[in-house]
Amino acid sequence: MMIKKAETLRQRQDRRFINKETQTSAKYLRRLKELSGAPDGMEPFYDTLERIYVDMDYAKSGAYHHTVGTYCVMTPPELIYAAGAMPVKLCSGNYTAFSVGDDIAPRDACPLVKAVAGFKQTGLMPVYEDCSLMIVPITCDCKKKIAGMLSDRCEVVTLHIPAARNDEDIEEFTRQLYSLMERLENVTGNQITYESLSYAFRMVGYAQYELSEFIRLKKQMPYLIRGSHAMAILNAASYMTAGDWGKALHRVNESLKTRIDGRKTVTSKKLPRILLTGSPIVFPNVKIPLLIEENGGIVAGDETCMGERGMWDPAVITDNSFDGMMNALANRALRPCPCPTFADNSQRIYRIKQLIKENQIQGVIYHVLRGCLVYDFEYRRIEDELGKLGIPVIRLESDYNEEDIEQLRIRIEAFIELIKLKQEPEKITAVRKSF
Amino acid sequence: MRSKKRIIITVLVCIGIGLLAYFAWLFPFYVFETNDFDTSIEKLLSFDYLKTLVPLFIMIGLSAAGIIMIVLLRRMLAKSDKKFSRFADVRTSRARGKAPKQKPAAFMVIRWIVMIVSAILLIWGGLIFGMGISSLSIPVLSCPWNTEEMTNSSCYYLSHLNELFELPIGNILLFFISTLGFIFVLGRVICGFLCPVGLIQDIMDKLRKKTNTEGIKMNEKMYGAITPVKWFILLIFIGLCFAGGNFCNFCPAVAVSPILAGMSTSLYVSGFLMVLVLMGSFFKRRAFCMVCPLGTIMGFFHKISLFRVKKDCQSCTECGACYEACPMGIKMIYTERDKADVTHSNCIMCGECVRCCPEDNALSMTFAGKKIYTSSRKKIMSGYEEVRNYYDDKKG
Repeated sequence: MMIKKAETLRQRQDRRFINKETQTSAKYLRRLKELSGAPDGMEPFYDTLERIYVDMDYAKSGAYHHTVGTYCVMTPPELIYAAGAMPVKLCSGNYTAFSVGDDIAPRDACPLVKAVAGFKQTGLMPVYEDCSLMIVPITCDCKKKIAGMLSDRCEVVTLHIPAARNDEDIEEFTRQLYSLMERLENVTGNQITYESLSYAFRMVGYAQYELSEFIRLKKQMPYLIRGSHAMAILNAASYMTAGDWGKALHRVNESLKTRIDGRKTVTSKKLPRILLTGSPIVFPNVKIPLLIEENGGIVAGDETCMGERGMWDPAVITDNSFDGMMNALANRALRPCPCPTFADNSQRIYRIKQLIKENQIQGVIYHVLRGCLVYDFEYRRIEDELGKLGIPVIRLESDYNEEDIEQLRIRIEAFIELIKLKQEPEKITAVRKSF
Repeated sequence: MRSKKRIIITVLVCIGIGLLAYFAWLFPFYVFETNDFDTSIEKLLSFDYLKTLVPLFIMIGLSAAGIIMIVLLRRMLAKSDKKFSRFADVRTSRARGKAPKQKPAAFMVIRWIVMIVSAILLIWGGLIFGMGISSLSIPVLSCPWNTEEMTNSSCYYLSHLNELFELPIGNILLFFISTLGFIFVLGRVICGFLCPVGLIQDIMDKLRKKTNTEGIKMNEKMYGAITPVKWFILLIFIGLCFAGGNFCNFCPAVAVSPILAGMSTSLYVSGFLMVLVLMGSFFKRRAFCMVCPLGTIMGFFHKISLFRVKKDCQSCTECGACYEACPMGIKMIYTERDKADVTHSNCIMCGECVRCCPEDNALSMTFAGKKIYTSSRKKIMSGYEEVRNYYDDKKG
């Protein structure tokens, strides 16, 4: 009798979890779809997000019999494709899983990790349950501990991320990639050969080329696409193979190009252009870009690791031997990465300045997930640097719930008004020439 | 403690090189009974030419054997030692398939054509076109013992300064004016475009890339360790003539140009060094250029040369691809964030950094302020057009 009751309790909890999870995901997906100005060809991305979060389906497709979960941008997808598995980014933005994980993880852990812990606890999310292996780069303390927690449900490989990016660090990371390669081979049963690795380079390179085209089109003035839609596209990349994603993105690029010819833009109004940076924004936690764009701003640039930045840098093969390709992967994973886990991260400031110049940014929103210390540390320096350029910055701290939405809305509204006030008397928003 | 050890090793290596250079003439590598410096086009076409080429064949054979031995040794180690597993033959020996490769840029094609043409001119130019401009001196490591080269090489008088000042004043002036003129207009473009030793090394590198063999990856520490050796070789280059030695017995370039021009030349340590250069440049691109004394001298003038490498620091993402690609290991090119001019004294203007840079306009080569070669993402990605999945392909 007791056992039966316990079972029903668990079942009820599970049902409630699934209901809540699908409802919130469907709601944010609907809000994304309702936002005006989406280009043609967005369907594959919406469908993917819907399949994963609303229908709660598996991610794998085609010839891939295994999926490998990855966490940060340092994991090279090429290696996983070469082993015949499909990489899936598991960084989570799920509110429902967060509320479960809140009880497991310590109070000050970041919501992203709490959400991952929540999914692990419930064991209901197929994308997580399906993984044959999880690769966790240790970019912060929370990631380190979650790697330990995940390891009793699934095989886990940790990648040690060095504090600097010197030659020795790159070499050490290359060695780690070699041992990761062995683990991948054991899991999938396929051997990574020169041929399969170069195929994987082509596949990911193609997707990256389409991404760079997309970003080039996105930079056009006036805007051809909204930042929230771009974020949906980039978030969908986590659950699609690089080939499929590249093809779908190619169609979006084509439709953006016809928009240039037809002089069609997202809006005729001059919207304040905002750069979003800081902690990752993962679907369905897209409340901040949505709030910006629903309140009359436009997310013109994003410097977050689930966004433009994560896939921007290609692995450049400078030496076409097998070892040369592995070096290229290690080099790409560490050197261009503006993740605040590195001790000296001044290149992130340059990257932000570059985005400000290219996208003619008028204001920067610095997003910090509560408990995300490394990003919070860098806020002060970026505020100082941007202060010198006269660009307003605000720090928005948010959590994975909907309770802070009204508070965020007020702050974002005020920020956008501030920018509008600044731009009105001048009437011009000329390109910034130099810093 | 560690640095002390390093200093001792460096000093010992330098002393070793010094002694070897001084007593080089005592260790013959290949000796003809008489050095026959006569050559003509008829000789090049006759059977005798093969006889003069014998030392060259020996050198090629020795370096091929050396390279194969190193590769095999590495594979043997890979089986027993995990540390070497990155060279494990299972992955590389059956290296079918091609790594994505970008379409050749016009700059690179021109560079190869210029290198080959200049090598031909510097070796057989005198025989074909006459000796019209042979009194001009180019600072290039093409052996002046080959009396048939189109122009003179500055390296002879730079390494025989005592002889230079015994020349008539007109010749001294001509030497300095032509050498400095070439350095001013071309700078180290001479290394990247004109030098025949550079061409040989680039061919070795191409061979390695064709066979997909793993190279030796140099890091900052190794480049740092080589720098004092480079300075010491420069010292030998200039100073040996005053101590009664002769740098030419030690110079690897002696082993190539005169022999190819049909002169039977005895080789001393130089021939042995050429084998090392061939082997070294197979595993590390332009290995000799790192210690080349003539290049070091040209590097002094890198600030006034008309060819420059420019960087748009705003577009750089510090991905380090340029540093990985650079055969000379110039790190400053990717860490620099203020200055637009990133021409380094070690830069040989090979354009590899521009070729590998994935950011539009981030790196460019300029001549007198005009851009001649610019980086572009589209070019980088031109090799990645295939979308197919390997495992789909295998099934179907």
